[in-house]
Amino acid sequence: MKKLLVTMLLIAATAATAHAGLKVIGKGDAMRLDPSGFPPAMKANYEIVRVKCVKCHTLERTIVAIQTGVAPISGQPFDRNATKAYGIKMLRKPDSNMSKAEVKASVDLMNYLLAEAEK
Amino acid sequence: MFLKKYTVAVMFLLGISCAPLLAPGTANAIPAFSRQHKTECSTCHTIYPELNEFGDAFLKNGYVYPHKKEAAKGATQGAEPGNEWSFISGLPQQIPLSLTATADLAYDEHAADGNKLDLSTRSITLQAGGSFRDLFGFFATYNLYSQGMQRSSSLVNPANNTNVPPGNDPDLDELFLVWRQAFGSPVNMKVGRFEPKLSLWKKSNRILPVPSFASTTYRVGLSPFSSDATEDGVELNALLGNRLFVAGGVVDRNGQDREDGYGHISLKIGGTDLKGQEPEVDLEKDSIWDYLSVTLGGFGYWGQNGEFNANGVAQNLNNFRRIGAEADILYKRLHLKGSGSFGHDTNVGFMSAAVDSRAYTLEGEYYLGAPVNVVPVFRYEYLNTGDGTVKRLTPAIAYTPLQNVRMSIEYTHSIAPEGTGNIAFASIAFSM
Repeated sequence: MKKLLVTMLLIAATAATAHAGLKVIGKGDAMRLDPSGFPPAMKANYEIVRVKCVKCHTLERTIVAIQTGVAPISGQPFDRNATKAYGIKMLRKPDSNMSKAEVKASVDLMNYLLAEAEK
Repeated sequence: MFLKKYTVAVMFLLGISCAPLLAPGTANAIPAFSRQHKTECSTCHTIYPELNEFGDAFLKNGYVYPHKKEAAKGATQGAEPGNEWSFISGLPQQIPLSLTATADLAYDEHAADGNKLDLSTRSITLQAGGSFRDLFGFFATYNLYSQGMQRSSSLVNPANNTNVPPGNDPDLDELFLVWRQAFGSPVNMKVGRFEPKLSLWKKSNRILPVPSFASTTYRVGLSPFSSDATEDGVELNALLGNRLFVAGGVVDRNGQDREDGYGHISLKIGGTDLKGQEPEVDLEKDSIWDYLSVTLGGFGYWGQNGEFNANGVAQNLNNFRRIGAEADILYKRLHLKGSGSFGHDTNVGFMSAAVDSRAYTLEGEYYLGAPVNVVPVFRYEYLNTGDGTVKRLTPAIAYTPLQNVRMSIEYTHSIAPEGTGNIAFASIAFSM
């Protein structure tokens, strides 16, 4: 019984390690995510982020915020409340050229990525 | 012969009445903030130097990034070991300096000197701005060089102690320190040379270089006073709650036997609050308040200018006051600004009669947004300073190919008692 428990714990720990973090490609301004493991809905959301968000800032800024849990410019916690606040900020920027549906898709993706990063 | 004389007179009068239109203000967007906070200009600006909602919160927050975690550390966040000196001393790691250069081209069909096409106005302005930890904010602008009329005052009487910096000479325009939340209170104390907080919009907070808001830029008679000029003074201001801003101050000029006083109050409804926090928006449903924000403001200014002779006897004193109300409406990409002001001057010439003045401005801007960063603007101005009404219609376009480069072209049609006039004005400005 004891052996079984230890084995199960080891398997669980290994599984968690295997899913930890985000698959990131490239460095610096060229940094981007590998969406191959995303669910279909999140793949579509990622396409919106990849096209729309980079008009104003690199994806590195977003990825670092998700990885570290801290927004790199403000130093504020980057959690689910923050993702929505940033989404609203971008929605209201007159030059962001993002619709509400696109902002919602972006926020949903960031929340998904936050959850993935925490695994 | 009579016709020729009449034409010359009309052209002269038009030249005088339209001259202020050829007086571009300074552009005070400063890349020093961008470098300090490692963020793009569009964080605070739409088309620079006009501020967006977050930029306005940054300004009201005494040049400290709103809600920045440990904003005091500013430039030292994430710093390499060995930069403790910066945090301990409060000094920024980078010298917070910027330069703004402008070159202007004006076409005036009634140019008083006959030079209809004028490519001789250009300027370089040095700017500094930042914060010492989160205790003090500071800002300075210095006119390094300018050619052509730059808000100059060639008036000698009745108030040669003008509050307007003399034209094209190198001169300090702004230099002030803001003691943020002094003694732990919500009150910020601003000391130095600055633009008294009356209007919702700072003089530099506009897309087009030519002064736009008649209610705060006009002058009456020979008095050099305009309420958007920088002056030496002390101001107290505070954010009450998240959406009410109040300011009041006193101004001291040479040749006064008492100080000027002023007050401002503004309320923002909807949109990003004055502390830079975003509104709650339901991403599943639409509401007009998702995009709408309305800011209402009111101001008053009471003052006096004049001169004293060698015996200390006051001469040609002009007591004046201005009161006004403004509104700023932002809905998606549409930005509307309205401004009205009433004034009273007791003596704007040599022992002249009192003058009541009125000015109104309406302006609309529409941001086309990325990737075409163009803003069409239309402005209507009405001004009556006691000698008839002047109306100005100004369509204009501004374009920023990069966030720190702005081009603009504007055309103004003036209708004045002495006749009509047309002026075209093109400007290119860049900051670094």
